[in-house]
Amino acid sequence: MSGFETIIYEKNGSVACITVNRPQVLNIYNIRMRDEIFEALGAVKSDPGVNVLILKGAGDKAFCAGADLTEFLSAPSPAGARHARWQRDVWGLFLSLPQPVIAALHGYVFGSGIEMAMCCDIRIAAEDCVFALPEVALGIIPAAGATQTVPRAIGPGRALYFMLNGGRLSAGEALKMKLVNRVVPRAKLLPAVESLAAQISQRDPRLVRALKETVRRGLDLPLAEGLILEHDICHCEERKR
Amino acid sequence: MSKRVFQTETRDHVTIVRIDSPPDEMLAQELRALSEQINYDTSIHTVIVTGANRGHFLTGDDRRIARRKAAFSLSDPIAAIHCPVIAAMNADAVGPALEIALACDIRIASEEASFAFPYLKQGVLPLDGASQRLPRLVGQAEAMELLLTGREVSAVKAQEIGLVNRVVPKTEVLKAALQMAGELSDKAPLAVSYCKEAVLKGLDLTLEQGLRLEGDLYFLLHTTKDRSEGINAFRGKRRPQFRGK
Repeated sequence: MSGFETIIYEKNGSVACITVNRPQVLNIYNIRMRDEIFEALGAVKSDPGVNVLILKGAGDKAFCAGADLTEFLSAPSPAGARHARWQRDVWGLFLSLPQPVIAALHGYVFGSGIEMAMCCDIRIAAEDCVFALPEVALGIIPAAGATQTVPRAIGPGRALYFMLNGGRLSAGEALKMKLVNRVVPRAKLLPAVESLAAQISQRDPRLVRALKETVRRGLDLPLAEGLILEHDICHCEERKR
Repeated sequence: MSKRVFQTETRDHVTIVRIDSPPDEMLAQELRALSEQINYDTSIHTVIVTGANRGHFLTGDDRRIARRKAAFSLSDPIAAIHCPVIAAMNADAVGPALEIALACDIRIASEEASFAFPYLKQGVLPLDGASQRLPRLVGQAEAMELLLTGREVSAVKAQEIGLVNRVVPKTEVLKAALQMAGELSDKAPLAVSYCKEAVLKGLDLTLEQGLRLEGDLYFLLHTTKDRSEGINAFRGKRRPQFRGK
């Protein structure tokens, strides 16, 4: 795949990688990036040869410092903006990926940056990470899923404190709150993520996908129904052997 | 409003509610009325709930819980408030008082405070939200341990498990709460309350339905003057002047 301006899409064996690539502006998310991520995620989703996806940011300073506010206030109307949001539902597509996704986080992880990371299944952070959700100070709320994904990851008490306060979290604080899975020195970030991706990509990809689906879908169900789902998916996979 | 039950004080968009009452039906009634009044008053951006500083958070005699009736709730009126509610937990919080704190959005505790749910020890069940709110806040395992054993936990341990957000010296609790309330009150009040709504209502929905709720609230904010003000102020590198419109 080529012709991307704001991201890099690579495939190395069964591990795919999307790099958000606007390092000159701290990888902030704009409409072009939305369209390109949408296209790349679509390719990942339909590619049976991709077992794991890595998401990272280009440059030294940031994974992604948020959304490009110069594009805000340009929507024709609230209804038009809403239409566009659901017509090209990049976050819904992201969360629907069958493969596990690992986020490699460094530097500024603000606003949409956190929201992208929360669409991933595993988050590994460099020690230099700084996290913030500054939306309410701008008169808006997070709208790429953070009001839903963050409380599901860290509980409503910590999520409200973090979002309403708009303050910054260090990598260590984020780890304590379980916003990220692991913290590693900056130089070890990519090796750590790549070795985890390699490890997962060596497992039977059908089982990996089945497991991700069971966990994700099960969290939306009452326990008894989740157990039935687990049972059904397990039997279905065994019959295929 | 009855002085015996609580006192309120509103300054700079922040209402402080100092509760000085046993956890009785009269307190429940007054809290219901207060909660409605707060939701009508758009000049109130943040609420702080605290105790009257007599050794216990909130209520005078909150350890004697065995004879409470299920007919009233102290936590429902607090949970019904639209704007953020900060619990300034200046002293120990046990049983009903802790259940009130669980219904708040942010909890700031004194480093000397300890917390417990001694219901089973007294032969009763929690009946003002703890069995539901506590597992959602700290996870099933920690919640089970606290509810089944009735064990006291220190403020530091409470922060570790996510029961409280911040721990500060006893004399700094209200100051820390006021400082945070000030910061919250400077933000766009509609965005703040919609953010709270998306988080709390969303947890009862599937992820997909929750994302839909978030989206709808987000686009509703597109109709507000505060959104344009916030974004223009950011671009112009100045402080925004939000008006709650």
